[in-house]
Amino acid sequence: MSEKYLTIADAAVAMRDGTTTSVAITQEILDRTATLNPALGAYVEVTADAALEQAAAADAALADGIDHGPLQGIPLAIKDIIAMREAPTTANSRVLDPEWGKGTDAPVVARLRAAGAVFVGKATTSEFALGLPDPDKGFPIPHNPWNVAHTPAGSSSGTGVAVSAGLALGGLGTDTGGSVRGPASVNGHTGLKVTFGRVPKSGVVPLGFSLDSIGPMARSAYDCALLLEVMAGYDASDPNAADVPVPKYSELLSGDIAGLEIGLPIPYFFEHEKLDPEMKEAVLGAVKQLVDLGARSEEFELPYANEAKDANHIIMVAEAYAYHRNDLVNRWTDYGYATRPTLARGAFYTAGDVAQAQRFRMMWSRLVARAFEKYDVMITPSAPAPAEKASEMTVSRRLLTPNYTGHWNLTGLPAVAVPVGFSTAGLPLSMQVIGKPFAEATVLKVADALQRITDWHLAVPPVEALVAAA
Amino acid sequence: MTGDDQKLDVVLEICGISPLPQDKEIMLKNFVTAREQAALLWGVAEARYEEPGLIFSAKL
Repeated sequence: MSEKYLTIADAAVAMRDGTTTSVAITQEILDRTATLNPALGAYVEVTADAALEQAAAADAALADGIDHGPLQGIPLAIKDIIAMREAPTTANSRVLDPEWGKGTDAPVVARLRAAGAVFVGKATTSEFALGLPDPDKGFPIPHNPWNVAHTPAGSSSGTGVAVSAGLALGGLGTDTGGSVRGPASVNGHTGLKVTFGRVPKSGVVPLGFSLDSIGPMARSAYDCALLLEVMAGYDASDPNAADVPVPKYSELLSGDIAGLEIGLPIPYFFEHEKLDPEMKEAVLGAVKQLVDLGARSEEFELPYANEAKDANHIIMVAEAYAYHRNDLVNRWTDYGYATRPTLARGAFYTAGDVAQAQRFRMMWSRLVARAFEKYDVMITPSAPAPAEKASEMTVSRRLLTPNYTGHWNLTGLPAVAVPVGFSTAGLPLSMQVIGKPFAEATVLKVADALQRITDWHLAVPPVEALVAAA
Repeated sequence: MTGDDQKLDVVLEICGISPLPQDKEIMLKNFVTAREQAALLWGVAEARYEEPGLIFSAKL
């Protein structure tokens, strides 16, 4: 297997046993990016020179016996709503002030930099982490490496595409209603939405301030653990950052899930009329594999899941509207065709509607907490269906389609998307594992246990052939 | 104009939003869906007795 498809963990070992170097891995990724990025649209800006300098510094440090840990020399993609000092932050929008975050690192990027990571560039995002790609605005249009006619989902599309297509070994996404887990799900890798407050989100263009989180995206759950143990922890610059100890997540992925109690919430997540049968079958098959490893599972009724989806939407667009209100009045046409009507939805809810959504949120959180008195994790499909055709995506359709991820932003809980197979059309299928507050280690352990006995997360998309045929 | 058209125009005027003609169809759909979403949540009577925190924390 080529270096470009090594996991972070494998690359870290290879750099230390002399098999390869960060410069070699980074150069290969940059070459591959130069070839494929025009077709895949993973990056808004590639910071090649800086990346090679960082890689050389990582190699030199290792040669001098300075080892900052497994992320040293690892090429990462950074979603373009997160400040990174080598390149501007655009949020893929003509509206954001070009000076926003200029020349600075978000705390999460600074932590990765201190750990010796290499930054390949700024990865494509849906505009302000919300809209659909707009060919008229001059930003790359991301495509799914498994089938370029299908969506790579959003909003962390670029990071998802980069990880899947071998244009980075991992990266950062943000998740307000599923924007880490969606791209991980449809691009066939692992993505973790962290507990609200687990990773400081200062230095990130906000979408829904009470829902936003920054999460690791990588091929494996183990790689996500390696990223998270550097990313997580209190920072005073974020008023919502949680002052909770950060475990060494990677050391907690033992593979032992004997006695783990799994709850499968019904009816919404497993009996919805729009749930794809192949998705359901693949998720239940993965649950059976976990049971074979010693876990126990049972269905239980979790009411109001349909309402929870809408509560997440209402709170998200209300908070986003508050951020964008003046620009919507004064710069309507500078926003993309799909972004502006989506943001303007925030004007369609009354103050009472938003208060009721918040009251619902508390009730839903209590229902979920009650379920977690019995279960260690809940498992659902990550999405009702594999990646849809990009040409069929519309703003209205997105609103009316069921969603399995926003529920856990509403409660602030950690949830990881894990590959569990492929549809007959060759598109990735994905399972979501949800945990208690700050139980990232538990959800990652479940994902890792599955990945020790399956290799869905290591599958490589036939991207060169697809791009050539497109 | 339908009743929803008129309500949408009032909301847009109050908020100072001036969409392009080609945006109106999607905005009308969004408006109708938004009102349906809000009605759905108002239908959850149990939630009316909750007191949301000022800043949501992940503590359950």
